[in-house]
Amino acid sequence: MRMKKLTLTLVAAAVAALFAGCQATAAKQESATAPAKMSAAKMAMKAAGPAPLAPLGKAPIPPDNKLTPEKVELGKLLFFDPRVGGDASTGCSTCHEPEQGWAWAEDFSRGYPGTVHWRNSQSIINSAYFPRQFWAGSASSNEKQAKSAAKGGVAGNGEDDIMEARLALIPEYKKRFKAVFGTEWPIIDDVWHAISAFERTMNTTGEYEVPLDKYLKGDKSALNEEQTRGMALFNGKAGCINCHNGELTTDLDFHNIGVPPNKRWEEDGLAQITFRFEQYAKGQTEKGYRAAKSDWGFYYRSKNKWDKGKFRTAPLRYIAYTAPYMHNGVFYTLEEVVDFYNRGGIDEEGRTTLFPENKSPLIKPLGLTDQEKEDLVAFLEAFSGPEIMMEKPEQPPYAPLFNMAELKAAQEAK
Amino acid sequence: MGVRVTTGRTLLAAVMGFGVALSAQAAEYPAIGKLPQLKINNAKAELGKRLFFDKRLSGDAAVSCATCHVPDKGYASKEALSPGYPGNGHFRNASSLINVAHKKVWNWDGRIGTNLNDMTREMLTEDYTMNMDMRIMQERIKQDPVYVQMFKDAGYGEPSNGSVRKAIPEYMKTLTSANSPFDKGKMSASAKNGMKLFKGKAGCIQCHNGPLLTDQKAHNTGVPENFDVFLDPMNHQAFIAFTMFQGIPNYMNLKRDPGYYNITLLDEDMGKFVTPSLRELKYSAPYMHNGMIKTLADVVNFYNQGGGKDSKKSDLLKPLKLSGKEKKDLVAFLEALSGNKLTSDKHVWKQPYPAEYEAIANWTEVPN
Ligand code: HEC
Ligand code: HEC
Ligand code: HEC
Ligand code: HEC
Repeated sequence: MRMKKLTLTLVAAAVAALFAGCQATAAKQESATAPAKMSAAKMAMKAAGPAPLAPLGKAPIPPDNKLTPEKVELGKLLFFDPRVGGDASTGCSTCHEPEQGWAWAEDFSRGYPGTVHWRNSQSIINSAYFPRQFWAGSASSNEKQAKSAAKGGVAGNGEDDIMEARLALIPEYKKRFKAVFGTEWPIIDDVWHAISAFERTMNTTGEYEVPLDKYLKGDKSALNEEQTRGMALFNGKAGCINCHNGELTTDLDFHNIGVPPNKRWEEDGLAQITFRFEQYAKGQTEKGYRAAKSDWGFYYRSKNKWDKGKFRTAPLRYIAYTAPYMHNGVFYTLEEVVDFYNRGGIDEEGRTTLFPENKSPLIKPLGLTDQEKEDLVAFLEAFSGPEIMMEKPEQPPYAPLFNMAELKAAQEAK
Repeated sequence: MGVRVTTGRTLLAAVMGFGVALSAQAAEYPAIGKLPQLKINNAKAELGKRLFFDKRLSGDAAVSCATCHVPDKGYASKEALSPGYPGNGHFRNASSLINVAHKKVWNWDGRIGTNLNDMTREMLTEDYTMNMDMRIMQERIKQDPVYVQMFKDAGYGEPSNGSVRKAIPEYMKTLTSANSPFDKGKMSASAKNGMKLFKGKAGCIQCHNGPLLTDQKAHNTGVPENFDVFLDPMNHQAFIAFTMFQGIPNYMNLKRDPGYYNITLLDEDMGKFVTPSLRELKYSAPYMHNGMIKTLADVVNFYNQGGGKDSKKSDLLKPLKLSGKEKKDLVAFLEALSGNKLTSDKHVWKQPYPAEYEAIANWTEVPN
């Protein structure tokens, strides 16, 4: 039984009451960097200038979820198994397709059957490095992320009890969970542990190292001339480094860069349904639910009006494989992205965020020449190395837990 | 989990507590007779009908209430064990919904003792029935102009998940027996004799009494387990999820349906099920909580042997020593409790549903 639904539906029928119910559970979490409220640490960083791009190191491994080859292997099986979800059709790999950059190649991700998602599917490649996951940073680890992905109504739409019950009836899983976690039966929290362990091995390191990292480690031949010129622009005139910086190519902070709403919400009934559902699910007030016409991003967590339309600075490694771009997939090519920045956060039709008052002062017309735009795009391509491919594992089969003799004996003993 | 199990248990303990003690006194049983008329709001019921047959009310939009509660089968499942939500099976027969609004407790184990609104919520949200996040359901409904109008006409205003759980029960009120030979007073001689046996020698009346022919209390009749619950992992997984959620001890090793034990956790209640109504049985075969008995003649044979094998079986069941003719008469009486099929468009929504969701025009200008 779905607890979130149960609690919700206990709330009185009135729409207003429904909203009160959602709101009460929507915790106020970390506060964003309001212009007025910048922390001392951030001020210091600003003064010193942004951290320069640096090669990607090892993925951090949390002490309570150590990596072992057996755990990673189990996590891989689970990642590719659609039975980790509501109707056994939609697993992690369904929306994070290896052939589509471990993401989904449409503006909005495909959804659970009968739905469409409202955001672009992010790649899981390198996700292990991010202490803030999702476009608006709402999950703090792979473990928490996986749990909300498998359960979300337009994602996996699975419930703990049915997913646990399924795994218990798949002997291969029973055996592997016992070996890895020591439990007699698979436990749902360990599913998230195992999947996270697998994700922590899915990085652009080793054989998948990207040209930029090779370059930053000293191999000056890894970038061509065009790309080195692009790098200079990235770090200078184009100002990308202000946000896309350091080892992770992101400051992990939230900014409104002017991305316009996706027009599909004006034309597609299915997308309109999910749009309104998400306002509920993310704890909007009734007033907000009625008024919202774009994704309010980090606002849903902070509830500060200056956070409307802010998203986590997107990391840039592996993006050659993950088009379309931005939280709502409005740009299909890196050229379009660069043009958008060059116009100062405005698309080719002159559209921008519905919250221009929150737009980052760092986003302004750049005055790049055609050559400079090409150089910048060429440099963005240096953030991607070889494509990471993997054969999909076979799904281990179900088997009955009891045999006929055991059942007959139990019947006799009644 | 805690919330529902405790409310379930206390409510039902109150409703059903003294069941066995009362029926043991063989004195007067509530008379079997006509069902009282229910007042129905037509606009609400019409809306409920459209919702009942609409697959968009399930998580992946693949099943409606009518997928399992099939009109042609007396609004029960045609299989011994009900189908489940895609990717799942089920571990019980889907009960007939005819006359369901006259009941006071619902489900084979009686775990809901409040109202059909709660029953509807359970069906919509349970993982292995419709797996619906009701917030998505509400937004789907708002996207269909036909519903927007129907909710308005029914006096509900803007569609909401709360009014869905009112309209469907209003529709279920329309599913009532009509024109059974018993109600019309037009039973055959054989059926009349069967009724005498029912009240007398066969002792059925001890549990099957009142206009619904049920005391709505739980008894153990010793119906054998349906092994398909455990041999088919699709069914077993639903059973495990159910018993896990209900907080049944040792659920992974359970090899029988605990029935009413679920509510009290008392050993003596293991294998008890709530007496079902005996109306409209002509359409709702197979019978019992797990569909283990195929025909009414088989049911009568089952009782003639004194029920099934179970150390906790009700003392009210004894071998009956019915003759061949007496058994036929009893079956004739059971058949005389069925009226017309409820399969015309008075009860069944037969118009097509839109294949796609229309976009709301001027979306950027109108409030959501
Ligand atoms: C129905 C499609 C769908 C399914 C199923 C799905 N995801 Fe996602 N995933 C998405 C979308 C869309 C986002 C971005 C969502 C957002 O920001 O709100 C996302 C985001 C993520 C992220 C965040 C990456 C980052 O950089 O922050 C990770 C990690 C991830 N998913 C892993 C998983 C795992 C593990 C599963 C299975 C348990 C899963 N996903 C199931 C669509 C899906
Ligand atoms: C003010 C901070 C900031 C600056 C400056 C900035 N970006 Fe971004 N960038 C972001 C944020 C935030 C996002 C995610 C926005 C969204 O999804 O709506 C993003 C997204 C992107 C993406 C899409 C990645 C994906 O996976 O979809 C690319 C590519 C990108 N930026 C490149 C650049 C380039 C090139 C520059 C310099 C011209 C630049 N950015 C300057 C903050 C910034
Ligand atoms: C996937 C199959 C399935 C679907 C779909 C389904 N049901 Fe059921 N229903 C069942 C089963 C099985 C039972 C018996 C459950 C039990 O006893 O544990 C049941 C029991 C009931 C009962 C209790 C009947 C009684 O006499 O105790 C009601 C009322 C009911 N369902 C109404 C509905 C409504 C209304 C819907 C749609 C919103 C619905 N059902 C959808 C399978 C289903
Ligand atoms: C001790 C109480 C009791 C007595 C006496 C009793 N029944 Fe039942 N009856 C039940 C219960 C409880 C069930 C449901 C059992 C189950 O599903 O496991 C049931 C089920 C049935 C069913 C199946 C209905 C359906 O919808 O599946 C029929 C038919 C039936 N009884 C007829 C009779 C007849 C005929 C007699 C007399 C010969 C009789 N019963 C005597 C309690 C009783």
